[in-house]
Amino acid sequence: MHELSVAAALLERAETHADRLRASKVLAINLVIGERACIADDSLRFSFELLTPGTVAEGARLVVRRTPMRFRCPRCDRDYSPVGADFRCPACGNVGQVVDDGSELTIESLEVAQ
Amino acid sequence: MSTVGVQSVKIINIVESLLASNDQAAARNRQRLGKAGVLAVNIMSSPGAGKTSLITRTLEALRDRTRIGVIEGDIAGSIDTEKVMAAGARDAVQINTGGNCHLEANMVDRALDELDLSRFDVLFVENVGNLVCPTHWALGEHRKLCLVSTAEGHDKPIKYPQIFAIADVIVLNKIDLIELVDFERAFFYESVRALNPHAPILEVSCRSGAGLDAWTDWLLDQRAAL
Repeated sequence: MHELSVAAALLERAETHADRLRASKVLAINLVIGERACIADDSLRFSFELLTPGTVAEGARLVVRRTPMRFRCPRCDRDYSPVGADFRCPACGNVGQVVDDGSELTIESLEVAQ
Repeated sequence: MSTVGVQSVKIINIVESLLASNDQAAARNRQRLGKAGVLAVNIMSSPGAGKTSLITRTLEALRDRTRIGVIEGDIAGSIDTEKVMAAGARDAVQINTGGNCHLEANMVDRALDELDLSRFDVLFVENVGNLVCPTHWALGEHRKLCLVSTAEGHDKPIKYPQIFAIADVIVLNKIDLIELVDFERAFFYESVRALNPHAPILEVSCRSGAGLDAWTDWLLDQRAAL
């Protein structure tokens, strides 16, 4: 349950960039969040809406693109996304090597009114 | 209908970490600690895995050789600070997060203000007991330590993969209980290695003292390499 801290960090970034861009309003924030980052969209939106009234980001839409956790199976020489907590390659049953732990938290772009 | 004015709407590419401000504060902490020659270790685990015990056992083992300071992160209270001071810490600062489930770099920055860094070789930062939230917030540490105990079960790496993926060292505590708690060592190692092929996995018992020499050797090597 750390969405409030993440939302506060998000607002700080939005305000910093809006100021830099001389934007009058942040209309949308496009985010990339890993599937395993333990961020619940609903909680993030709820927290963000709680923090933003009276700020440049009031009413901004949060658009979230999810990226999966990925492993590389050296035996099959291909990537796979584990199902739940089962790390094994779906093709051969071998446990591969993590390529992306699915914990990404990135601001991709902002939609602003200038 | 009235026209308020002409606004232009633009999409601006950013592509930065959502926690960029924290990352910058962490980088400042790391620089400050490095300049003072202090190795900082961020200790992360679930509640009850033995973070404070690992620190007190390390203090007892290295008391005459290495000067150690501690930042204690807890939701409330200062019981752990009292324990580490009694065990021989040169100094300790308590951070009470007041409910926050993890430490952030600016909290550590304020704690560093209260410490005389010239008095330490090593600084332990004991994070709030939690396997999820602390993984996102860098504090300015030089090394991340993931502590897990056999009593928690061998499935922790598959349930909480990030903390194992980002760790520089993994300490498996309560190894003296391994037979009692049906801990499947092979499954644990296979899962950890899928997430983190290189970090040392050190088996210890803070209760019996087993394996602590390998851990203190690792710690002193890291300090020497700073």
